[in-house]
Amino acid sequence: MTILAVDRVSISFGGVRALDDISAAFGAGEIVGIIGPNGAGKTTLLNVICGLNTPDAGAIRLGDRVITGMKPNWIAGMGLARTFQTSQLFSGMSILENMMTGLHLRSRATLFGAALHTKRMRAEEAELAARARDALDFVGFAAFADQPGDSLSFGQRRIVEIARTLISDPKIVLLDEPAVGLSINRVAELDQLLRRIRDEKGVTLVMIEHVIRLVMGVSDRVVVLNSGQKIAEGRPEQIRENPAVIEAYLGKQVDAGRAAS
Amino acid sequence: MRLQALVSNRSFLTLLFGALLVLPAFANQYTLFVGNLMLLYIILASGLNILVGFAGQLAFANAAIYGIGAYGTALLQVHLGWSFWAAAPVGAVLAMVIGTLLAFPALRLSGIFLALSTLAFAQATQWVLWHWQSVTFGAGGFRAPPVNFGWIPIKPDYGIYFVTWAVTVVLLLFTWRIMRSRIGRAFVAMRDGEIAAQSLGIDLLTYKAMAFALSSFYAGAAGALYSALLGFVSPEGFDLFQMIIHKAMIVVGGLGSVVGSVLGASLLVYVMELLREFKSTQEIVFGALLVGFMVFQPNGLVVFLKRWLPGWREPLHLAGHAEPKASVLSGSFKGATSDERPAAERA
Repeated sequence: MTILAVDRVSISFGGVRALDDISAAFGAGEIVGIIGPNGAGKTTLLNVICGLNTPDAGAIRLGDRVITGMKPNWIAGMGLARTFQTSQLFSGMSILENMMTGLHLRSRATLFGAALHTKRMRAEEAELAARARDALDFVGFAAFADQPGDSLSFGQRRIVEIARTLISDPKIVLLDEPAVGLSINRVAELDQLLRRIRDEKGVTLVMIEHVIRLVMGVSDRVVVLNSGQKIAEGRPEQIRENPAVIEAYLGKQVDAGRAAS
Repeated sequence: MRLQALVSNRSFLTLLFGALLVLPAFANQYTLFVGNLMLLYIILASGLNILVGFAGQLAFANAAIYGIGAYGTALLQVHLGWSFWAAAPVGAVLAMVIGTLLAFPALRLSGIFLALSTLAFAQATQWVLWHWQSVTFGAGGFRAPPVNFGWIPIKPDYGIYFVTWAVTVVLLLFTWRIMRSRIGRAFVAMRDGEIAAQSLGIDLLTYKAMAFALSSFYAGAAGALYSALLGFVSPEGFDLFQMIIHKAMIVVGGLGSVVGSVLGASLLVYVMELLREFKSTQEIVFGALLVGFMVFQPNGLVVFLKRWLPGWREPLHLAGHAEPKASVLSGSFKGATSDERPAAERA
């Protein structure tokens, strides 16, 4: 069952055609890897899906609704969450407060409710905090709840950010290079975490990643972009052997399994 | 252990406001006036800190909004014969409405550009106060009628002091609670990364408007009380120097800290009074304090509280970045996050 569909999307910046007639479909509960050389249009594709950029042509559908041109916060409210290449943990808040911010759309307190400290508002805050702790527990970071956001290492922040997107029970999460800067052991942990998110929570994951070992290992399907065009799509083992991919991305003379990490 | 639990924002504020409550019993006319000014500036600083320190919006209109509150309150009394008790809330709400409109440029502009456009608004407000003489009485200002306390047997200056005290306590309590709610978290999220905030479902226009509305209401309320305290309103009380004073207070105290606003306001009112004899040196000293703190301690005095008092919690304080966050004042705040912008070359 397709829950997110990108339908013939194009977008240009100045003279550069960043996405050229891209179509792709993402099903419920699958992990899809997006790979491609630098400048292929991968992040632009995520930006277009989550509403940060509006495509020049084409449509994006989430479920049965067209979301093209909607504001990012609306799209977030419809069950689509994402992480970014650079750490986006709010450094002025504790980890727990960061997680609670992820529940913004699931909470109701108004300005007056907050100012008057109503019983309802306090009950809601307690519930948010409990859910935040549960979500931290899922990724093994419960012990860090009260630390400031900027006290974590780069790799730890990425994991907490993934937890922050999961807390609002999204249908689909876009991950922009979750493994960047992680050590090999950490990549293995991330691999396990991504599988658990898919299997235990049934969340669809769309992941841009340069760490080929991770993408090929964990993805159910892989989409390959090059110069704004989709050049291949298929199961990881098919992608490995696709001559167009090898030529465009992995290079002609290089052993495909070890290259480009 | 027990002692540590006593060292908290709450006990600090309780102590300070307890002292300010009993101050009139011991103070002479002048000390009472200074205490009253301190309360007013605590309102102004905590309002501005909501906008700049918590929500990260570098606006320079606070003094002008303060003026709109004061003029609104006093003019309603002079022209329409309203009593202070009716005019003051209307003056504060008027300031809030006008201040909220500034959120619209803030949606498009950030950093130095927002600073300049709000500064232009402040200067335009000054121009109106100076030149719309039939309504505002021009450069010379005008007297506001004395506040009538009716059947309550209290001398007016004591009456105004207690009213200001009560308003300050209530507004500070509201700040404290709102900043620790989902609304405060949305403000801080906006400050620390607009794109990420949006992708978590936070609507930027709503929360910017809310931050401007809150801080303008605080400034307007302070203006209303100020017109009653002084019994006189003139444009020069709400000029650029006044803006520098507000800004210096939150920088010296600590951006994004409720206690920081209180600390900065109390301290700088004291400095201001020390220099009352030498009005021209006030500007130099305040300018120097602002620059000095931005260069050497951009996170304000609350840093020392955090460092020296174990158990002192300052969860939403604008600090802790490798990059000194005074950049929020110098306009390069956005620069730090430019990499998150959706750009073609980051494909």
